[in-house]
Amino acid sequence: MPEPGELALAIDDLTVAYDQKPAIWDIDLEVPQGALMAIVGPNGAGKSTLIKAALNLIPRAAGSALFHGKPYEAARHLVGYVPQRGSVDWDFPTSVLDVVTMGLYGKLGWLRRPGRRERAKALAALEQVGLLDYAGRQISQLSGGQQQRTFLARALVQDAQIYFMDEPFAAVDATTEAAIVNILRELNKRGRTVLVVHHDLQTVPEYFDWLTLLNVEVVASGPTCRVFTLDNLQKTYGGRVTSLHGGQVLAAGG
Amino acid sequence: MMGLERALIELLLHFVTHDALNAFLRSPQHTASLVGCLIAVCGALLGTFLLLRGMSLTSDAISHTVLLGIVLAFMLMTGAGLEGDTASPWLILGAAAAGVGTVVLTEALHRSGLVRQDAALGLAFPLLFAIAVILVSRFVDDVHLDDDAVLVGEIGLAWANTNSHCFANCESLRITPEHPAAQQTRQCANCRELNISPRDERAEFREVCGNCGVYTPAQAWSAGLLDEVPTLVFFPKSITVMLVLTALTVGFVAVFYKELKLTTFDAALAKSLGFRPAALTYALMILVSLVAVGAFDAVGSILVIAFFIIPPAAAYLLTDRLSGMLLLSPIIGGAGAFFGYDLARGWLFGMLPVAEGIAALNAVFGLQLREVWDSSISASVVLTMFVIFVLVWILSPRYGLVVSAVRRANSRRRFDDQVVLAHIHNHQGTPSHAIELRAATLHQHFRWTPQKMNRVLMRLRALGFVSLEAGSAILTQRGDAHVHAFRKQLLVAHNIPDIDPTQP
Repeated sequence: MPEPGELALAIDDLTVAYDQKPAIWDIDLEVPQGALMAIVGPNGAGKSTLIKAALNLIPRAAGSALFHGKPYEAARHLVGYVPQRGSVDWDFPTSVLDVVTMGLYGKLGWLRRPGRRERAKALAALEQVGLLDYAGRQISQLSGGQQQRTFLARALVQDAQIYFMDEPFAAVDATTEAAIVNILRELNKRGRTVLVVHHDLQTVPEYFDWLTLLNVEVVASGPTCRVFTLDNLQKTYGGRVTSLHGGQVLAAGG
Repeated sequence: MMGLERALIELLLHFVTHDALNAFLRSPQHTASLVGCLIAVCGALLGTFLLLRGMSLTSDAISHTVLLGIVLAFMLMTGAGLEGDTASPWLILGAAAAGVGTVVLTEALHRSGLVRQDAALGLAFPLLFAIAVILVSRFVDDVHLDDDAVLVGEIGLAWANTNSHCFANCESLRITPEHPAAQQTRQCANCRELNISPRDERAEFREVCGNCGVYTPAQAWSAGLLDEVPTLVFFPKSITVMLVLTALTVGFVAVFYKELKLTTFDAALAKSLGFRPAALTYALMILVSLVAVGAFDAVGSILVIAFFIIPPAAAYLLTDRLSGMLLLSPIIGGAGAFFGYDLARGWLFGMLPVAEGIAALNAVFGLQLREVWDSSISASVVLTMFVIFVLVWILSPRYGLVVSAVRRANSRRRFDDQVVLAHIHNHQGTPSHAIELRAATLHQHFRWTPQKMNRVLMRLRALGFVSLEAGSAILTQRGDAHVHAFRKQLLVAHNIPDIDPTQP
């Protein structure tokens, strides 16, 4: 169990390049334990790339990432990853329960099969995301929001200390958005660290207490109340942000 | 390999006599069906994962490029003075290397970012195949790699290529000149040298043994040198090869089922959980290569792809679970292999005689088709598998064409009903009531034909949702409840949010 007050994630000088063109450039990022953090930036800012590079899913050009002070290989069990919904084939012949159980494969390791205990954990996670009735469904029958909640349940069973979620709010219905927010808050209450790639600027102050603005480089990172300023947003989005009445902000360029 | 065969035969001899076993294996049908079924089981299991990974065509590529592995292995073996044999470890190494080479080359081309995945495959495998073809024609003459074998294989001859195993009276016999059975003849030793006749007095003679040497029990028996019949079993080599491959494949899938499922569904998650998706992919490709080589003799390199693709494709339409696919596709493949042999001999699924069909065609259309039906076994197997696929495709209770068409028609009908119900609901009790809801002109508002509107109205009245009052359609209480239920369901399903004034 990590100690309180410790850094959940420390990224140091992380650079990733596609064809010699940097996708993220010299990222230094420190996320305290228990932060509920949004990663926000325009398209092509390298938000997903940042997560994937931190988790060793794509090669790094330079830099390192420490999870509770340990490199990824030693911290796998501390990390839960929710990829973008479109990253898998939802026509795959399997059930919702089975997909959620896959989150436990890491703990099982090679060769050991999931049993009754794993099944119970998976069902509990499905109940948490409100999909218990769908446990036996073929995954192709799910709506987009239900798919997202399935992925979330799969991450929940991992019982990780730090979660990385790649656009969980992308194209989901209001029920799912509310369900996800509830779960984020629940995780936050239990002292877990959650990093979410997010698109909707309007909901940032409401949902997240920590914020990183990213556009290839880190523009600003810290508590939302300090970072979420028009000035910072304009730096991130290149002036395509306008202030609306009542202090509401809207990203024009998405 | 020989030891394994021997152990297997010894096991079988507990249940049958060696004569019965020989008789069974000597039948081309038994061996061909057995080998075909084993290939089908291997192909179906591996093909299931290929299909789900979108790599079906990789099996086609590999089944061609293993030819390069086979040729290189033959060249190495002849270089080392060894005899070419389909069960040689060199061949297995060559095949595995060719399979992995295909995948590595394809990946390299694709990763360069200049070639798309499908084109990369299309570039890599003809290259390796072309090299193989050139090597065959330039350097390998005495190998059995002829065109026919490469195209469709010769599964019908699988029974003839056997290893013999002896189980009793197995002394091999050495005939020396002193042996009573030795056939000694006198030959002139210097006649040719001196160009003289054997009658010449200078001729010198020596004893030559005509049948001396070492005899295997089988040879000794057929030469009449043994009194006791040796107990021999002739075991087709391809059965052994395919049995080993089937055991490997089944074992691999059974042991790594969980890992294969995870890496196939979500390779990124597998990687982040500490599994090795790339290693599993290569293991899968090596097995595909081995099966392709094992099946090469039997079905050639073109048709083998059918064993990998058709059974999983059919199973995919029948089940929603990976375990179901892994169970059904070998059954489908095995059935195809089994009934395929019948088809080659003129019986579709062992019941319908093809010859009678042709005779009927001849009679009706006056065609001059040959009625005797005797065709390629491997092609017939593929054809049978395809017939099974088409049957599944049309009749599958989940995703078949028939069920889909019925489902579509039903939902279209339900949708028409809802449209009309919603229209009545919206206009009922409004000032436009009389104009909008008059049954006789209702179809005009929808731009429907009167017939279609009549059908819908009749259905709605039969369901008790709508009744006619003074020539106008109105909702019954039931109909009203139905509309409300539908709207509620619609709103939940799409979750139409409250309109937010701050949204642009």
